[in-house]
Amino acid sequence: MPTFKLDNREIPFQPGDTIIRAAHRAGIDIPHYCWHPGLSVAANCRMCLVEVMPPPGRPALNLAVLAWDAEKQAYVDQKKPKLQPACQMTVTEGLDVRSDSSEHVERARSAVQELLLLNHPVDCPICDQAGECRLQDYWLEHQHAKKRMNDEPVHKPKAVVFGPTIVYDAERCIVCTRCVRFCDEVAKDPVLDVRQRGNLNEITVAPGRQLDHPYTLMTEYVCPVGALTATDFRFKARVWFLRSARTVCQGCATGCNAFLDYDPRNDTAYRHRPRENAAVNGYWMCDEGMLDYRRVHQYRVLKAKTGKEETTLSAALDRAADTLKGVSGENVAVVLSAQHSSEDNFAMARFARDVLGTTNVFLSGKPPGEGDSILRNADKNPNQRGMAGAAAGLPAKPIQDLPGLLESGQVKTVVALGADARDVPPPSLVPSSGLVVLATHAGTLTERATVLLPASSWAESDGTFVNAKGLAQESEQAFGPLGDSRPAWKLVAGLSVRLGKDLGFRKLADVRKAMTPEPPQSLRPIAPPSVGGAS
Amino acid sequence: MEPLDQDLDAAEIELPADPMIVNMGPAHPAMHGTVRTVVELTGETITKADVQVGYLHRGFEKMCERGTWTQVYPYVDRCNYISPMLNNVGFSLACEKMLGITVPERCQWYRMALGELARISDHLTCDGAMAMELGAFTPFLWMIKARDLIWDIMEEETGARLTHSFGRVGGMAAPPTDGFKETAKATVDQVLRVIDEVERLLLGNRIFLDRLEGVGLVSAEDAISLGWTGPCLRASGVPYDVRKAHPYLKYGDVEFEVPVGSTGDCFDRFMVRIEEIKQSARIVQQCCERMADSGPVNVDDPRVVLPSKEEVYKTIEGTIRHFKIVMEGLKIPAGEVYSYTEAGNGELGFYLVSDGSGTPYRVRIRPPCFLVTSGLERVITGQMVADVVPCFGSLNMIGGECDR
Repeated sequence: MPTFKLDNREIPFQPGDTIIRAAHRAGIDIPHYCWHPGLSVAANCRMCLVEVMPPPGRPALNLAVLAWDAEKQAYVDQKKPKLQPACQMTVTEGLDVRSDSSEHVERARSAVQELLLLNHPVDCPICDQAGECRLQDYWLEHQHAKKRMNDEPVHKPKAVVFGPTIVYDAERCIVCTRCVRFCDEVAKDPVLDVRQRGNLNEITVAPGRQLDHPYTLMTEYVCPVGALTATDFRFKARVWFLRSARTVCQGCATGCNAFLDYDPRNDTAYRHRPRENAAVNGYWMCDEGMLDYRRVHQYRVLKAKTGKEETTLSAALDRAADTLKGVSGENVAVVLSAQHSSEDNFAMARFARDVLGTTNVFLSGKPPGEGDSILRNADKNPNQRGMAGAAAGLPAKPIQDLPGLLESGQVKTVVALGADARDVPPPSLVPSSGLVVLATHAGTLTERATVLLPASSWAESDGTFVNAKGLAQESEQAFGPLGDSRPAWKLVAGLSVRLGKDLGFRKLADVRKAMTPEPPQSLRPIAPPSVGGAS
Repeated sequence: MEPLDQDLDAAEIELPADPMIVNMGPAHPAMHGTVRTVVELTGETITKADVQVGYLHRGFEKMCERGTWTQVYPYVDRCNYISPMLNNVGFSLACEKMLGITVPERCQWYRMALGELARISDHLTCDGAMAMELGAFTPFLWMIKARDLIWDIMEEETGARLTHSFGRVGGMAAPPTDGFKETAKATVDQVLRVIDEVERLLLGNRIFLDRLEGVGLVSAEDAISLGWTGPCLRASGVPYDVRKAHPYLKYGDVEFEVPVGSTGDCFDRFMVRIEEIKQSARIVQQCCERMADSGPVNVDDPRVVLPSKEEVYKTIEGTIRHFKIVMEGLKIPAGEVYSYTEAGNGELGFYLVSDGSGTPYRVRIRPPCFLVTSGLERVITGQMVADVVPCFGSLNMIGGECDR
């Protein structure tokens, strides 16, 4: 691989790379605002200026400038090298680039930073970006001085509603145009643009339009400062109190890699952020997925119930075991769920085969929704393929076939994972001798359950999810189970013990060990890709 | 040690032939500080002693690992709480050594002046308590009265009499008050008058001298091998003082003597502290004369020192600077450092490890009186049981510093 020199370090590059991209790949951060690895180059923030040394034997490209001489108390003629934007300049073999080691570059960065803060409001205490703001980070690293302007800053509109999800603050904006380019290039809906010039310019929405395409929250995500804020996250939490878990989005079958940001002090999830993965979602996520984190707390089943009465988890498990004791194989049916992890489904399938001795296995999931060619999949289940893999070897049938068996009286008892049986007319789905439901969220089945067992969500347990491409991805636990809930595989294991046919699942590792030899290659968990600072 | 609550048969009590075991502390009136000393007696002579420390252990070093560097100050205050300012200064110097910064001259004089005042208060307390425990209540009251004058200055300067939390990395929490120099100079004069009176009360007193002279002897070799520093080491005749041997701040530029003892008994330890009060008074006078009336106290480094409130509220740069230092903590470059200063009881060392983040990775303290207290066993073995009181008093064990 060809190399070039950055601060006297040899850096490999691929032909066509810009300086900043080659450095980014080598793990070196050249300070920047407007450049984003997933967007086109704008080169308008000038923060990434670097000094490119002339070829040996050639004079440097110098600019004549006036510099203030403190001794003479006058401006004097001076020369300084012409700096180049690292985000735009293509690397060539042997190029000698100075970044941190050039005093001209340091001075330029300090000047750019001073310019960007000239009209910046004193908003850090009320700004959601505080704590993850480039202006803050770079001020300390590159400027750390006061600005020289004493005039009143230019005032611009604040808290402008761009759409249902985004609020814009023009005073905080540095007009890097990342949001404009994102809408143009990734969301393919050029709804944002820049108006005015100089220190009066600001981002604006196309007349008669709102920022309302399916990827609006990404504009907030790419914003390096606090100009764009999400209505959903505004004033909800301070980022330095949040911790991140590497999860997989549960919104659809794409399986976008995400960070679930949560507050460890009260086990509350606050937001999703995309986690860079070139094989799945690149740098992005859709609004639906970004807001999907809310399901960690919404419509949750957190208490065990027998009939309509709340009870303890162990009492409910005892009752469920009573219901299932002595049922014969053909009279009982087991429902798997594409909303649950492969481990949960696998434990359930094993429960059907080894404990209940039945082959009546049905597959359930959410009904299809809207999809597009960017990220969103019409299949709104995160683990359709993982569920199918877990049922491998069993004659699994779609959930639509279950009512027929119930009506004919062949199936008298049902054990269901998940509560998504929306295609089935509810009244027809009442098994005569019992319905045991292991559910995370309230749904059609939870209301009819004779025994309801609360199952944990993806935020509360590790789990594997297989996306539409067949890629098995591990989702990391953020915090412990909420309420009385437990991971579904653990509930299944508890039932198996009570029924006297122990499946031997004590830890998640036991389930995974049992899964490994049997399921297809695609079901095996792979380590999540390394975390890259996406911008 | 044998069990302390042994059940003796009534028959044995008639002619007790076994050595008697006596518990001094952890809550004994003559033990200022919670430390337990179990002594084995033959008659009134101590044949064996077991000093057990740790009653005031609070996990100081571990606590330091969860806040910012600045948030360590309240903890170091509570190490040697008789002279907390010396701990503040010592910790500041350790952090600054790692950062490679030096505070402005005005701050150096200010730190020295406050530090020496703290040393005076430390020695006044130790010698006063020692006299009181031997029955001389008046000198104690007079010395504590003098200490209160010093604490008045501390209160005026820092807002707190005891735990000041006044040091900062790169400077001090506030510049000297307008009247600091005059008050400090006048106060040390008053303290010296008290010392003079105390000397006249005690040094001609046969009982007092008999209880101290030749009691609790420690040779120079023993003191060194025990790791002793400070007044206890100097009382044994070793003229080691960090301020002279490895001058920091402006100690190289001021005139003062290092008093040493000759025999290393309790009396020498008492007298070394009395003499050191006089030397500290000299240093305070010189600091007050040489400290500028105006000029910066804190270094001009926005990565380390907080901006003024005016700046924080009115400019974005000030807000960012404040935010970064408060929320993330000032960043000290990755590495490790050992920095040591002369505190009230001797060499106070800080061994710091930084991983480059805003939170200390490790804060290890070398508490001088932990090592001094470790010698108590040797000092009192072979002495009379009544000698435990002056011996222990002369070592000036401070629970907070010893047990951490």
